[in-house]
Amino acid sequence: MSQADDAFVHHESIFEKPPLSLRNVHIMYKSRKGAVNAVRGVDLDLRAGESLSLIGESGSGKTTLGLGIVRLLVKTAKVTQGEIIYRRDGLEMDVGQLDAQQLREFRWRECSMVFQSALNSFNPVLRIWNQMYDTAKAHGWSDRRAVREHVLNLLRFVQLDAERVIDAYPHELSGGMRQRVLIAMSLLLDPQVLILDEPTTALDILTQRTIIDLLRRLKDEQRLTMLFISHDLAIAAELADRIATMYAGKIVEIGSADDIFYRPRHPYTLGLIRAVPKVIGEFEDLVSILGSPPDLVDLPSGCKFHPRCPFATERCRREEPDLEQVGQDHAAACWHWQAVEEEVADHPLHQSLPAQTIVYSGE
Amino acid sequence: MATTFDATQLPVEAERKPSRAAGFLNSFLLRRLLKALFTAFVVITLTFFLIRLLPSNPIELFIQELMVQYSMPYHQARDQAAALFAIDLEKPLILQYFDYLGGLVRGDLGTSILSPGTPVTSFIKRFLPWTVFSVGLALMISFTSGVILGLLMAYRRESLLDHILTVLASVLSAIPNYILGILLIIWLGVRWGVVPVAQMRGSLSPGVQPGFTLAFFQDALFHAALPIAAYVLTTVGSWMLTMKSSTISVLEEDYVTVARAKGLKESRITTAYVGRNAALPLFTLLAISIGFVVGGSVLIETIFQYQGIGYVLLQAVNRRDYVVMQGVFLIITLSVIFANFFADMLYSWLDPRIKFGAAE
Repeated sequence: MSQADDAFVHHESIFEKPPLSLRNVHIMYKSRKGAVNAVRGVDLDLRAGESLSLIGESGSGKTTLGLGIVRLLVKTAKVTQGEIIYRRDGLEMDVGQLDAQQLREFRWRECSMVFQSALNSFNPVLRIWNQMYDTAKAHGWSDRRAVREHVLNLLRFVQLDAERVIDAYPHELSGGMRQRVLIAMSLLLDPQVLILDEPTTALDILTQRTIIDLLRRLKDEQRLTMLFISHDLAIAAELADRIATMYAGKIVEIGSADDIFYRPRHPYTLGLIRAVPKVIGEFEDLVSILGSPPDLVDLPSGCKFHPRCPFATERCRREEPDLEQVGQDHAAACWHWQAVEEEVADHPLHQSLPAQTIVYSGE
Repeated sequence: MATTFDATQLPVEAERKPSRAAGFLNSFLLRRLLKALFTAFVVITLTFFLIRLLPSNPIELFIQELMVQYSMPYHQARDQAAALFAIDLEKPLILQYFDYLGGLVRGDLGTSILSPGTPVTSFIKRFLPWTVFSVGLALMISFTSGVILGLLMAYRRESLLDHILTVLASVLSAIPNYILGILLIIWLGVRWGVVPVAQMRGSLSPGVQPGFTLAFFQDALFHAALPIAAYVLTTVGSWMLTMKSSTISVLEEDYVTVARAKGLKESRITTAYVGRNAALPLFTLLAISIGFVVGGSVLIETIFQYQGIGYVLLQAVNRRDYVVMQGVFLIITLSVIFANFFADMLYSWLDPRIKFGAAE
């Protein structure tokens, strides 16, 4: 992808280099069965102010990649290759090269993270305030009154009863409230990049709605750069400017949200979209992707998707395709993307976005 | 937008806390007290009858002693015993029982059978502090070092240090304290001669006056050192292993990952996020073990000739001094009851998720 293509979507990018660039990142887990290739050579630019969604099935490596960026992988996992470049104010650094102290300062201050399980993200024996203040203090901000004022504002921003919540213990808050507190906490140090790992997965559908609305506001008002990890296409559709599909540790397609939803060029993306139910339409329209995600210890030859792919040919069994341009700011890693294009042209995907969006967006 | 409704779901208790909590506490305390009294009553009754089921009785044993020691004929020995002890064991058991209960209600634990005129309370006053001192200190040392070592083992999991400490902890916690006590005397005192065991007998050297003096504390520690070592060595292992497994599971908690993601200092994460949560379940065990250690001091105090309450109990058992036995059992029961109560309070104070009394 060239910088000129970037400029097409985000005019700011002409001036700004992406805050976060992943270059050929490989992450491996040690396991009894052997090395698990969780992430295999990911190249990705997170552009300033954009919200990029990483989608894929469980086990596709998306969470591993998210944790790898802030170097929070479990001990058995390692970034074996590649660079994670972080930029701010024209300065550049490789997150992989930071020492313990620098890494500690980088975390949260530059790049904070909202986790999937907000229910368990808080220390059960400390009040919300103490956990907020801990964070501020660890980054050298120990003016209690100012921190408290700021925390109250953030809690108001996420539409909580700030005065009450700040002195509550985590168990006194509902799941949705905790998720909002976590989002507020992620904004505490005004980071440049926010990674959200399945921020709505553990929540019921109405609470999901409020969190999505909140994230939308965050995106529109704060212009944060967000990496949004999800397996839920509907949420990705609502929040993302661009979407990247991951399969077996690699990005197999990346493009604007519109391109991905209306003009997918990778059979896996197409499969994911077809597997999402629509409100209007027959259940017969639903097609699930046959088979299951590949064994990451013993990956298939060639294109990792070929055992499940209706378009697969002999070539797919032999050679693994790289991402190639299939449109303006749109790339896919498939030998047969033209065939997918014809398939989509013959059977248009949907008139509108997937189901959840339609049901709940019309509040 | 429908986002504000959640705020009203905040627990209502937060608001009404003062008045309601006070009411709760009162009724809870009352119920707790009644339960404690009932437990004490059951234990008192059981011990009263059980110890009288022991073969022989104090008078018989004394008569036999006289017969063996002074070669007295039986009837002469019996007359002498009857003259010495103003106790009527012929009285129906049930009446003795009610006498005893009546005395307890008035705070009278009775007087020793074999040391006529010495009230049981004076035995307790004289010997209990030594047990409380040695056992309490041992428990503190053992708990603290167990928690720290367990935390270390969990952090250095699968390292050489962890393997060594795990084996050591398992072996130590498997040895009964009286065996370890004997081993300590044999090795440290006799074989290697590094510790003057003979001088360490008793709870205080002759001539040292109890008081707030350095000499007194030094001497008290000197005499308690071996019993404390035996308690600590035999209990520290289980603290270590419990803390290790507790820490390992806490380390996998999401809030620890979040704490790292927040860029907190490792020292803060270890103490406030990992250590505090991992140690929580250990506090319940701590309180329970207080009761057991007081009861379990019998053998250790006898082995080291340490004059605490356990030593008194053994003497009383050997001579069937029913009244003293009852008194000591009562003390052990009360310490278990109090320890449990204390554990509950401590736990609800340490863990905000547990409301004091809410578990009832």
